[in-house]
Amino acid sequence: MANKLIELCGISKSYGSNQILDDMNLYFNENRFLTLLGPSGCGKTTTLRIMAGFETPDTGKVLFDGVDITNMPPNKRPLNTVFQKYALFTHMNIAENIAFGLKIKNKSKAYIDDKIKYALKLVNLDGYEKRMPDSLSGGQQQRIAIARAIVNEPKVLLLDEPLGALDLKLRQSMQYELIRLKNELGITFVYVTHDQEEALTMSDTIVVMNQGYIQQIGTPEDIYNEPENAFVADFIGESNIISSTMVEDKLVNILGTNFKCVDVGFGQNRPVDVVIRPEDIELLSPEKGIITGRVTSVLFKGVHYEMEVMANGREWLVHSTVMKNVSDEVGLYVDPFNIQIMNKPESEDEEAVKIDA
Amino acid sequence: MRNSLFKKLLSGPYIFWIVGFTVLPLLVIAYYAFTQNGQFTLANITAITQYAHWKALAISLVLALLCTFVCLLISFPLALVLRNLSLAKGHLARGRNNMIVMLFILPMWINFLLRSYAWQMILSRNGLLNGFLSLLHLPKLHIYNTPWAILLGMIYDFLPFMILPVYNAMIKIDQDVINAAYDLGATKQTTLRKIIFPLSLPGIISGITMVFVPSISEFAIANLLGGGKILLIGNIIEQEFSEGNNWNLGSGLSLILMIFIIISMLFTAKYDKNGEGGTLL
Amino acid sequence: MKRFIKQFYVGLIFFFLYVPIAVLFVLSFNDSLSRVHWGGFTLKWYTELVENAPLMDALVNTLLLAVASAGIATILGLAACIGMTAMKHSSRQVLTMIAQIPMLNADVVTGIALMLLLARFMNLSFGSVLIAHITFNLPYVILNILPKLKQIGTSTYEAALDLGASPAYAFFKIVLPEIFPGVLTGFLLAFTMSLDDFSVTYFTKGPGFETLSTTIYGELRKGIKPQMYALSTLMFLVVLLILFIINRQSVKEERKIKQQKKKHSLSRTALCLMLFLLPVTLSGCGKQKENYQNEITVFNYSEYIDPEVLEIFEEETGIHVNYEEFATNEAMYAKLSSDAVSYDLLGPSDYMIEKLMKEGRLQKIDKSKIPNLKNLKKNCLESCESFDPGNEYAVPEFWGTLGLLYNTKMISETEVSSWDCLFDEKNKGNIIMSNDMRNSIGIALKKLGYSINSSNPKEIKEATDLLIRQKPLVQAYLTDETRDELVAENAAIGVIYSGEAYLAMEYNEDLAYSVPEEGSNVWFDCFVMPKDAPNKEGALKFLNFMLREDIASMNFEYVYYTTPNQAVIDSQPDDIKYDDCIFPTDEMVSRGEPFTYLGAKGEKLYSESWKRLKSR
Repeated sequence: MANKLIELCGISKSYGSNQILDDMNLYFNENRFLTLLGPSGCGKTTTLRIMAGFETPDTGKVLFDGVDITNMPPNKRPLNTVFQKYALFTHMNIAENIAFGLKIKNKSKAYIDDKIKYALKLVNLDGYEKRMPDSLSGGQQQRIAIARAIVNEPKVLLLDEPLGALDLKLRQSMQYELIRLKNELGITFVYVTHDQEEALTMSDTIVVMNQGYIQQIGTPEDIYNEPENAFVADFIGESNIISSTMVEDKLVNILGTNFKCVDVGFGQNRPVDVVIRPEDIELLSPEKGIITGRVTSVLFKGVHYEMEVMANGREWLVHSTVMKNVSDEVGLYVDPFNIQIMNKPESEDEEAVKIDA
Repeated sequence: MRNSLFKKLLSGPYIFWIVGFTVLPLLVIAYYAFTQNGQFTLANITAITQYAHWKALAISLVLALLCTFVCLLISFPLALVLRNLSLAKGHLARGRNNMIVMLFILPMWINFLLRSYAWQMILSRNGLLNGFLSLLHLPKLHIYNTPWAILLGMIYDFLPFMILPVYNAMIKIDQDVINAAYDLGATKQTTLRKIIFPLSLPGIISGITMVFVPSISEFAIANLLGGGKILLIGNIIEQEFSEGNNWNLGSGLSLILMIFIIISMLFTAKYDKNGEGGTLL
Repeated sequence: MKRFIKQFYVGLIFFFLYVPIAVLFVLSFNDSLSRVHWGGFTLKWYTELVENAPLMDALVNTLLLAVASAGIATILGLAACIGMTAMKHSSRQVLTMIAQIPMLNADVVTGIALMLLLARFMNLSFGSVLIAHITFNLPYVILNILPKLKQIGTSTYEAALDLGASPAYAFFKIVLPEIFPGVLTGFLLAFTMSLDDFSVTYFTKGPGFETLSTTIYGELRKGIKPQMYALSTLMFLVVLLILFIINRQSVKEERKIKQQKKKHSLSRTALCLMLFLLPVTLSGCGKQKENYQNEITVFNYSEYIDPEVLEIFEEETGIHVNYEEFATNEAMYAKLSSDAVSYDLLGPSDYMIEKLMKEGRLQKIDKSKIPNLKNLKKNCLESCESFDPGNEYAVPEFWGTLGLLYNTKMISETEVSSWDCLFDEKNKGNIIMSNDMRNSIGIALKKLGYSINSSNPKEIKEATDLLIRQKPLVQAYLTDETRDELVAENAAIGVIYSGEAYLAMEYNEDLAYSVPEEGSNVWFDCFVMPKDAPNKEGALKFLNFMLREDIASMNFEYVYYTTPNQAVIDSQPDDIKYDDCIFPTDEMVSRGEPFTYLGAKGEKLYSESWKRLKSR
């Protein structure tokens, strides 16, 4: 196992009576694209701010390369942040903005000029040195904010929803830029977002958080295909989450019909949650399906049709490239491999999960 | 553009108003300044070269500059602290912010003369301050009837005009901009010098104007707390109007004073990129 | 620790801002008319407040004026700002520059200039004061609204138009709420400025209209009446209370609806304030002007007539008295020169009477219509002849001497028998001179053995040089505050008018009064009638009334200045009759000299000498 670059040990943080983080443990290594994903208020930004040093945890430690940096002020930490609203210094031009950190480190003028050129080239904004931040578009400002951070050659770049303020098109192209940048720089990116698509596209590791707890850590594929619980399943992509009963190993009763599955070890007649992704439901002729239902709505979505099918007293969300008409009778089939069984959570405050990233 | 024309017309009553009640009175003053017994003269303008007049102007300038400087010196750190207080959990607690603003305006709702009288009672030889000092077995302070008392009175009176704009400029700085500076390795001092100070500059500039302009033409405080021993240019103008009955000279000196004030405003306008003058709030 | 220092610092600044207010708060419970004398705890100033009709009137006027001027200025300024956003940058800059002019000028200058202008086309009354206040309020409004308007830009407004809103609807529903904080602070500051103004109000107001500010300045001579402290304290506490309630509520609400759009709590602050002001203001509007067929307008020294006396006069004769007060002869002269108001009677002093006479502004008084003239003291009228030969123009109201108030614990009686004590090194720092140039230069002239009315440049230079040498010894040059300083024992000797001295001695029994042997100024404040007096008959009736024994006596007991009314003097008990502070002996009067008018040249000479002294 590679050495841990940053490790959070038992971090708790609350504002007044509002518990933001509770005994959080997390670590990650070099050259990673780690994403903290979760709805607003889940504690992801606080986690980032604790790493950056803008917040001090109530309990717990932050280790950097094995060294305790919990009480180290942000200006001493070897990591840099890209802020949600860019936080450019509006009274300085672009070159001055980028040079800010370097000047503080007393780098030579030649070195600084060189770095500015390099950074601007890296973010595709060559020749913008003398412009003022106000005169740039949102996407350009964001790239300057990134340039300003990376010239300092941090081991870790922290990004706090950096694309949140941009429009869809720009966001998508920036996503590719970020991936490219990360690969060119070879440093770790810690990326905070509430956009699951963004997370799935860019990350190599996703940390799903909710209400101050880590819900799941894994690769995008793991998180998508094998959500640990209903929250993750619901938050990552669209899915049908159905309260069901595990009849025995490899057999689950969903809304009165038994489905074959591949999961074992849940015991017999246990209540479980079942997750079925809409694209995993195949629409066949009625007699070929495990259950039958009637199409209630059809929407064309470009690559596929999004349909709702009424079956066993429930609306099933189905994505399919085969078009059906409303009120068509269809058979629904799900491959056993695509049925994901999850334990029902005992309570909202489920224990944080500790998984190697 | 019909719409824009209509909008411009909205300024009509105001323009009428300032022409009628600001520019015209100014012309009246200018008329008095350039005449004596109905004859044209420059004597009232050149009168500034007389010893008593330019000395008064010089003292006024020094006091106004000192007052402005001290107000800034007090207000800047105060605004910083207040900024931290109102930024609960990183977002602005609006109620608290308004409360702070009102708490600075409120003392001005008590009549100026009453407040000055209160200061007389605090500062005078057997006043409250000296009573307090002798309780502590400390030597008495004799600042009453000295320029220091005038300075104190001015600072007291004009401090809110500095605090408010500086505080308001500072409250507008995004905490993340400050965090960004720390993040890039800046110490607290560097951040203060290179980020917070330049970003609150518009507020500082309007604060300087709001304090400097009234303090350079101040006269009442000099009479009330300075024991009438020092003449400020405001005293001379006031005296020419209300005692010496020489309105021409008073007007001439007023014009000179206005020139000084306009120079100071041009100076500040240079730093005000929006060109909209000071924004108090 | 760091946190403590920060909080301590904030606390210190607030302490600095509020400590004078705390002093006023304490004074409002002081059972004594003098602010430097603690007479025990009382609540009577608060209970007397409501009965004090002039003060309540002044309060209503002040609030009405502040609300109206701030309100109109806000509307005008708001419209102007919207117009300015549509203008070119350059013209906008010119307008903002001009907008700030009223802030630049000294108040007196703005006041006099506006008075000269407004007097041309309107009566000086509430309307003229309102115009003046709106004028100096406008910059504060504009400076607060314009940046906010610029900040929000035009896009939201255009979006609203795009959605089918009319321009007016878009403005009130979209733009106004956005810029509201700026509008409100502009209004509040304008309100504050209007509340505090004295100079501009004084010059642009007419008789019968007083605000709290002008009332306070009028009361300076006799000491500010403690009801004023009570009123100020009360106003302050009410506003503070409202603020705290609103703040608590908005904090609560902020907790409740965290993410929802917050209402402007500041706007509610203002709303509540308005609700608090509204009844007061309305009662002002609703007050009906009583209609008198017959009225006179009197412009007199402040605190010179018992208000009850005026009421009696109105009851007896049915003639309404428009009463206006001034604090100095020169302030009266300035007001008079504007020809804005036609007065029936003025109450200036000796030298000013001569000046008005020589400028042909006065008319002779028909003595046959004033039988009560017989009540006047003979030698008093004789003295008046120095400025009014033949007693044709002036009817003396009060008179007195200029002398020394001294503390017997600090200085001996023999010392104060001469002006020399004011120039003695031994009294350094314990001397208070008069801040009136004629008084101080006059004293120096007397000491040098010249006439108090000298206009000989050589003599005046000599006197000025003497005063310059004296300056290091002087603690302060004061007028109204001399009394308080001596009562508080902050100084040993002060130059003072006899009437004030009498008041001072009431509060501190160690104080005594002396008129030095070299002689001094004897002053006379008299009624005179301007040439253009509209109601001559009424004015003569008023003069006769004022000289009536019972009325003069009432007035004497109100003012406690020397009355020239022999009948009143005779009726006084011995301890007052023979008090040489209230009733100077004939010998004292014979040593005294009234001031006479020096002519424009003389005035200039004095003014320049005075500046020479003060600029040392």
